[in-house]
Amino acid sequence: MTTTTASGSGGLLSGKPLRAIAAIILLVNGMFPALWILFTSLKTEGELTAKPITWFPHAPTLQNYMQAFSDQPLHLFLFNSLMVALLSTMLTLLVSVLAAYALARLNLKRRGLILAAIIAVSTFPLVTLLVPLFEIMRTLNLLNSWTALVLPYTVLSLPVCTLMLVSFFEGIPRDLENAAMIDGCTRLGALFKVVVPLCAPGVFTAGILAFVNAWDEFLLALSFNSNPQLRTLPVGIQLYQGEFAFPWPVISAALVVGIVPVAVLIVIFQERVVSGLTAGGIKG
Amino acid sequence: MATTTSLKISADAEPRQAAWVRWLDLSDRSLAILLLAPAALLLALIIVYPVCRLAYTSFFSLSLTSGLPAEFVGFENYQLMIDDPVFWETTWNTVLITLITVPGALIVGLGLALMANLPFRTQWPVRLSLLIPWALPLSFAGLIFAWFFHSEYGVVNDILNRVGLPGIIWFNSPNWAFAAICLTIIWKTSSFMALIILAGLQTIPRSLYEAADVDGAGRFRQFFEITLPLLKPSIVVALIFRTITSLQTFDIPYMMTGGGPGTSTATLAMYIHQNTVSFLDLGYGSALAVVMFALSMCVTAVYLRMIRTKE
Repeated sequence: MTTTTASGSGGLLSGKPLRAIAAIILLVNGMFPALWILFTSLKTEGELTAKPITWFPHAPTLQNYMQAFSDQPLHLFLFNSLMVALLSTMLTLLVSVLAAYALARLNLKRRGLILAAIIAVSTFPLVTLLVPLFEIMRTLNLLNSWTALVLPYTVLSLPVCTLMLVSFFEGIPRDLENAAMIDGCTRLGALFKVVVPLCAPGVFTAGILAFVNAWDEFLLALSFNSNPQLRTLPVGIQLYQGEFAFPWPVISAALVVGIVPVAVLIVIFQERVVSGLTAGGIKG
Repeated sequence: MATTTSLKISADAEPRQAAWVRWLDLSDRSLAILLLAPAALLLALIIVYPVCRLAYTSFFSLSLTSGLPAEFVGFENYQLMIDDPVFWETTWNTVLITLITVPGALIVGLGLALMANLPFRTQWPVRLSLLIPWALPLSFAGLIFAWFFHSEYGVVNDILNRVGLPGIIWFNSPNWAFAAICLTIIWKTSSFMALIILAGLQTIPRSLYEAADVDGAGRFRQFFEITLPLLKPSIVVALIFRTITSLQTFDIPYMMTGGGPGTSTATLAMYIHQNTVSFLDLGYGSALAVVMFALSMCVTAVYLRMIRTKE
């Protein structure tokens, strides 16, 4: 996508000094908040309350990280977040691959209508479903379980992932599947043996999107899982605040621990995520 | 649950497939229905049924704390809402946040996208600087910026002091607290806008600018007569997505101020959550949610119309 088109076609800015300024602005804007939290997490209590405040930790300490794990069951929060995010990612992918294949390949009569319905559903505000979902989860006895979050999170990502996958699947020549089917593959066989592997980058991007959505979600996690053993990271991190005091270095350490898994994903797969997001965003 | 249904589908769809070959049209259709079924089931369970249920519940007096059975009260919840100053305040706050942060994030995002589109030799730092804010959970961003705006140890006041300005006690004043929340939301959401706009920028052919150069059009004219018009579709998509999510604002004010001071920074989503989870007043919570749903559907209607005219 980026290779053949002109970069710098914004047309307004050019030249080397401008590029340097732009790079600094972009980096500071994007990285500074996360870096600041990292600095704070390495500071000692003394450094934190110095005036004027020190920017860099002079004697970096891991004390805050140890305290973050001992004050609250941070490992449990992490585990719950990971499991909920992974389970809903897998479920989202499975369901959206099947649906996207039907929409991309099987000549459905009301394809346009179905796509419009998917877009419409994706704009339903999740907050408004709080009451009925709360009631449903209560009657199904699912409050305080991973399932209470996995199902809504799957649905949260389902529309976007399906739309993304439709556009990826449409980019694969039909001949490849037809050849596989002539060789004795069934349609579903061709889907999983030919189409999905060829679209692996796209499927993967959809997966990251679903993972990030689930990792971020706060309101439902806060409302449905109050059992200390089942709290996810965003919910658990609130517990560090005392009645009057915020132990900021410890909270920062917990935040850094929570940022790392997603940051690792983003750093490794940045290129793919950008192209997938923009493809999904523009088509969606 | 849905996993097993979809596995079953693939298991019994395969043997039947062979018999379908001669009737390709028919097979395609049944297969399509089978493949769409898991998605449809999930959407029905988590969205369609709850939405219907929501409308229904909003006509009942249903409070789990009162211990009384659900009683049909007609529009009483809605009447209550009209007389409820907190409803009006939280709705107004939500609309105000949308009116401030959506254009704000658009302008900042456009700036970031134009900068990110410069011909940098190494692309990954630029990509990361746009992706990190996008991937950072909203609730984390709320906490991080609460620390940024801390009146004594916050880096914002530190910078203000260094340039000779007095520090601000951000979270004690309704207006400053509101400003801090809006700045945080703009920071958090501008990166995603920038990513979408950047994708739009990169589809503009360079030849257009070369032709404009030949015609002697300056850079500003090129920006307003080539760049902006061609970016319009991506900007519209980004704007509408942002508007819809902005109506649901919860995480950032919840983490930064908890809605305070007083209810000056509380949003409609926070009020729904409070009525539902804290007060367990499901009837009133539903009525509030219906209002938000209606607001959101208005935006979606505009969205769908724009997409249709685009095609």
